[in-house]
Amino acid sequence: MRAARTAYPLKWRIMDALEGIAAAIWPARFRRATPYLMLLPAVLLVGLLVLGLIQIADASLRTLDTTTFQFSDDYSIANFRRALTEPLFLVVAQRSLVAALIVTAVTLVFAFPYAYLMVRTRSPRLRKFLLIALFLPFFIGQVVRAYGWLIILGNQGMVNEALGLIGVAPMRLIYNYPAVLFGLVQYMLPFAVLMLAPALTAIPEELEAAAGSLGANWVRTFIHVVLPLARPGFIGAGVVVLTLSLTDFAVPAILGGGSQDFIANAIYDQFFRTSDQGLGATLALMLVALGSILVGLVFALFGAGTLAMGRSRA
Amino acid sequence: MKRFKPTLSHLSRRTFLQATAALGGASALGLRSSYAQEPEKPAEIIVRAWGGSWVDSLKAGVSDSFTKMTGIAVRHDLTEDNEIQPKVWAAVAQNRVPPIHINWDTTTNATKSALRGVTEDLSDLPNLANVTDLAKPAGLEGFPIVNTYGYVYVLAYRPAAFPDGPPKSWKDLLDPKFKGRLAFYNDGIGFHFPAQVAGGGKLEDIPGNMQPAWDFITKMKTQQPLLGEDPDFTTWFQNGEIDAACTISTNAREARKNGVKIEWVVPEEGAKFDTDGLWIPKGLPENELYWAKQYINHALTKEAQQVWLDGLGLPGVVPGLTPPKDLVGDPSYPTTEADFQRLIRISSKIQVENESEWFSKFKAIMQG
Repeated sequence: MRAARTAYPLKWRIMDALEGIAAAIWPARFRRATPYLMLLPAVLLVGLLVLGLIQIADASLRTLDTTTFQFSDDYSIANFRRALTEPLFLVVAQRSLVAALIVTAVTLVFAFPYAYLMVRTRSPRLRKFLLIALFLPFFIGQVVRAYGWLIILGNQGMVNEALGLIGVAPMRLIYNYPAVLFGLVQYMLPFAVLMLAPALTAIPEELEAAAGSLGANWVRTFIHVVLPLARPGFIGAGVVVLTLSLTDFAVPAILGGGSQDFIANAIYDQFFRTSDQGLGATLALMLVALGSILVGLVFALFGAGTLAMGRSRA
Repeated sequence: MKRFKPTLSHLSRRTFLQATAALGGASALGLRSSYAQEPEKPAEIIVRAWGGSWVDSLKAGVSDSFTKMTGIAVRHDLTEDNEIQPKVWAAVAQNRVPPIHINWDTTTNATKSALRGVTEDLSDLPNLANVTDLAKPAGLEGFPIVNTYGYVYVLAYRPAAFPDGPPKSWKDLLDPKFKGRLAFYNDGIGFHFPAQVAGGGKLEDIPGNMQPAWDFITKMKTQQPLLGEDPDFTTWFQNGEIDAACTISTNAREARKNGVKIEWVVPEEGAKFDTDGLWIPKGLPENELYWAKQYINHALTKEAQQVWLDGLGLPGVVPGLTPPKDLVGDPSYPTTEADFQRLIRISSKIQVENESEWFSKFKAIMQG
């Protein structure tokens, strides 16, 4: 009699067995805790980061003995004192912070029209072009892009060669602060567009049409309707660009010509050049603190924007 | 000078000595054979090296001939010297097998590792009997490192930028026409000591009073120099970004090989002379330690040094090496006492103990 087998196929039996195993491992009475189980990977990941931070905090309190290149057994705040009093670290911190703020502002200004056009255009071809142009840089690493700028903007680069055609002598376009800012803006632009686009998509086009029908011109509609509704996108994009710029290493190292270090470069120097991991750890902790304070300020003043996943105040 | 590493057992010392003597003899005779006393050969040994012409020269001079002689493949790990250091230190601290067998390192960096106690003693290498004093790391007990050659931080320049003749002094770089056209190492290495002299100070005052050096570097900062690493100098000369640089002569020579018109001098204030070396991290299995030592021993043979250092254009530690044709009489290839008198040598110990402060000071000036 093969009918019984057909009535209860093999794959059902397998599913029953799997359900049985699942019930044994995770009984039904634990069902309310299931959502928390889903959080486990994230908790583990964050836990590892916290463990790393604890180790860094421990290292930051130990000083290097340059006669043995061993770290002290005792704790002290000598590294923090150095970090807060040596002019080098103050200069580098100030440069990083100012650059992060400038890059964030400029990137948002450039990213907004790009995102707006990408979301609102009625031409599928243009939208595809803008999307491809947006994602293409992601396939090219930051370092390669920075080296690309060396080729374009170098003394014998394309720009200087073009200038030479009209009689302009080669000029130094790279290895300075503006070049670092330029490189960072170019690197951050896709991130900002990607963060702004969902916020702009969420603004009903009808609202802009309604404003127009009530007599508002394009500028007034833009200022009073689009910009306020796009605020969550600005906040999300701003936070991402601000933190990435503040902690960047490669662009200052490559486009700065060695004289435009950011905090990350100073941390690298301590870890790998002077072997002073204690001071490097101190600078790393201070960078984490600075970034956290800035993000906290933004969240406190403006909410979390798109990062709040629809729960922002905006 | 042969001393034994106290942590090795008597048996392994004896085995090592017997086998090294046998291999040394075989090497001298150009024989390729195996010996009953030889420990098991690993499939490969890993040598950390600098890239570009540096690793090419090492491969041509030492690694290929070592493989031919022993049958052991040599893998070159191009991790930066500064970046491999914490990995090795961590491995030794955690009693793990280190990620490399041999570190090709600056003597200053290697001295840090020796002071930390993570280096194997190399005093029992037979070929140390044939090397000059340059091979011995100053201020350290025994041979935790073997210096393998010296190098000079020369003033390299484009002759077209100096139409009145080669620069005579580091002060010549203060000419306003060189603004933005100079380059130094980003931590100032190679320039601190000549700057001390150019700033009116004395070498004897190092490290106690280096204010003349900082004053001179502050003046140099107004020239807005570029700051970089070894590969940057070659690139910058090739791309016409700079007219002059304080760099290791090997980088300048590499640019010249690539068709860039470039010369170099040792200015009247002098130029820093330093050494690089080879060392073995602690924690290797005994057989791998043995073959790693054999690699370094082989690097100290005249044949290996000749090919390796022809590629780098640097003076070795084995007497009787022939300078490359383009470097005969060159100040960056010192061979006589008179040559060395024009160069500045400061002990590794002083450098190691003060390097962090000097780097910070240089950076504070240049980043300010």
